[in-house]
Amino acid sequence: MGGPASLALHSTNDTQVSFADLRDEVVSLLEAIEARYSRYRPNSIVSKINGRAGSGEFTELDGETMALLELADQLWQVSGGLFDITLGPLSQAWDFRPSGGADPTHIERALPAVGWDRVEWQDSRFRLPEYGMEIDLGGLVKEYAVDCAVRHLRASGITSGVIELAGDVGAIGSRPDGTPWRIAVQSPADPGSLCTVQLVDSAIATSGNYARRVEYQGKQYGHLLNPKTGWPVEGPTSVSVIDSHCLTAGAVATVACLNPVMDAKKWLEHAALPWLMVSGLDQVAGPIADRMTGTP
Amino acid sequence: MAAVAVTKVAQRARLGTRSELMKRLGRPLLALPAYQAIPAIADAPPTFTEVGVRYTHYAEDSIDQDAVIFGATDRYDIDITQLWIEAPVGASWSVALDVQNDYQTGASPWYVGVQENGEPGVIMSGASIQDNRVEVGVTTRYFWADGNAGFSASHSDEDDYEATALAFDASWNTAGDARTWSTSFSSSKDSVSPTQGVIPVFIDEEDLDTQSGYFGVSQILSRTAIARIGLSYTVSEGYLSDPYKLRDQRPDSHERLSVSAGYRRFLVDADASLQIDYRYYADSWGTDSHTLEVAWAQNLPQGLLTPYFRYYTQREADFFGVIADVTAPHYADDYRLSSYGAVTIGARWAIALADSWTLELEAERYMTDAKWGVFDGDAAPALVDFWRGTVGVIWRFD
Repeated sequence: MGGPASLALHSTNDTQVSFADLRDEVVSLLEAIEARYSRYRPNSIVSKINGRAGSGEFTELDGETMALLELADQLWQVSGGLFDITLGPLSQAWDFRPSGGADPTHIERALPAVGWDRVEWQDSRFRLPEYGMEIDLGGLVKEYAVDCAVRHLRASGITSGVIELAGDVGAIGSRPDGTPWRIAVQSPADPGSLCTVQLVDSAIATSGNYARRVEYQGKQYGHLLNPKTGWPVEGPTSVSVIDSHCLTAGAVATVACLNPVMDAKKWLEHAALPWLMVSGLDQVAGPIADRMTGTP
Repeated sequence: MAAVAVTKVAQRARLGTRSELMKRLGRPLLALPAYQAIPAIADAPPTFTEVGVRYTHYAEDSIDQDAVIFGATDRYDIDITQLWIEAPVGASWSVALDVQNDYQTGASPWYVGVQENGEPGVIMSGASIQDNRVEVGVTTRYFWADGNAGFSASHSDEDDYEATALAFDASWNTAGDARTWSTSFSSSKDSVSPTQGVIPVFIDEEDLDTQSGYFGVSQILSRTAIARIGLSYTVSEGYLSDPYKLRDQRPDSHERLSVSAGYRRFLVDADASLQIDYRYYADSWGTDSHTLEVAWAQNLPQGLLTPYFRYYTQREADFFGVIADVTAPHYADDYRLSSYGAVTIGARWAIALADSWTLELEAERYMTDAKWGVFDGDAAPALVDFWRGTVGVIWRFD
């Protein structure tokens, strides 16, 4: 899933459980999720769907994939079309890999192959009707993987632990001494942390435009794209959201980042979850920011 | 800049105040195991302190004048006030204190005789009775990853009745948290010393010992359905008659057995759950009964509204008589031991007022009639109908 991962396990109600075995199981679980949903893996279901784009052939969806696509559909609807997993063709114009660059002249050619409203479903069968269309579940799968790992660890008897995948965190229970887990939220301005949140049986996800950027004509552009214009959005620098699950927290944070700052605030208030928004480099807002206490 | 922000999402989850937007986003995920039960929350001590107050008014309809030979027609009114506080203690314990006060006024049937027209009629207790009962209970609960166990002690006191009870309960999860086992045991020691008043009573003080046990299991059937079944057994030894009834001589032992089952199904499109519960009860006095309740718990922007309907029918006790046969070893004319049927229609409404405040409202109407029952038996003349209304406020804070 293209980012660092860490796992901390502290207690279990089953003395037969080996932490080393659990770590290996979590790694296998994450690899399996990546194998299923990475658009860079030729045998993934995402690659299968993309490979059949324009062929007229449907792909039969399993329950898990259908649930994730239904979530993507809900997010597309509630975001007014801003959250769109069919942005893949725009990678011709915007390459946010370290070696990449920007060539907006490709936008006009790519945009006709973008649009979630054009995908076709027949019960559990799914297809992309136009050649060149692509779906990319990268905006959901990392957070989903956190939730799957948390579920697996709980089912294995873990009562206290934390898993982090590239900044998205799931907390199981509290720390062994009964105090909440303290999770640092990365600052977009520097390598340090913006603040620390305390979590018990919950998750925090951060979405931002600061980590993966590309320069075009002397201006920096973030990796979140507007599916209607094909250009990067100019929204908040980063948004962190806390919820019982990482996937829903991440979805809310991502949609917030796709909106202008004022609309993002309204969206986050509508979601009614704890949130922290950074606009510019250091303007912080939100219920989490309101509860920041002191500087340790 | 570095700072600390404290946010307890587990608390929000318990409060059930998810926005309509988050409910909408959560629906597609219900099919996935990662978004089903979260046992760590289910079996974690509360992360907040809860303080609640609840007031209930119970009002029995007046008895029909045609059914009364002598005495007032007004029956019982009861005002019930409950106060409680529950707080976490450390990482694995919680402690709760409950206080309840009941204030009761009114009259009750003393005995059933024969009217001039040959029909049975009730002689009421005459002047209005006033009684106050106070009960105090303390519960401690220990939580571990797969379950919790509680121990409670309570004491209740009123002019003519005193009761002390101890109880233990536990529940634990198995089968990947899809199955929850529950058990409980309780023991109580009661003492009755009737007040000598308008109604003559014939005992000074009597005791009653009661032991009770329950064992049950609930099973998650699918992502939207859960079922449970349970068995309970209770035995009482001692004075079981009603000292305020003239013709009431009951056995000094009472064994009760009940089997209960329930089914809950969440209907995603309706954002509501259908709840069906059934109980079969039988006892050593020859009484048995069926109870069926159907409820619909509807999520609304204003909270959870649960209308419900309950049907109850019971068979009369072996020693019950509309006119008690006082020559028998055991006898009673208490309408509660007769054959009858009853229906209850009501609704509960839990309203999230703000982030940490919840308002609870409930109202129900209970109606009974001998003809509504499925078991044979003569109609007792004093069957009761009543209204019950409850309002409560709960405050949760860190």
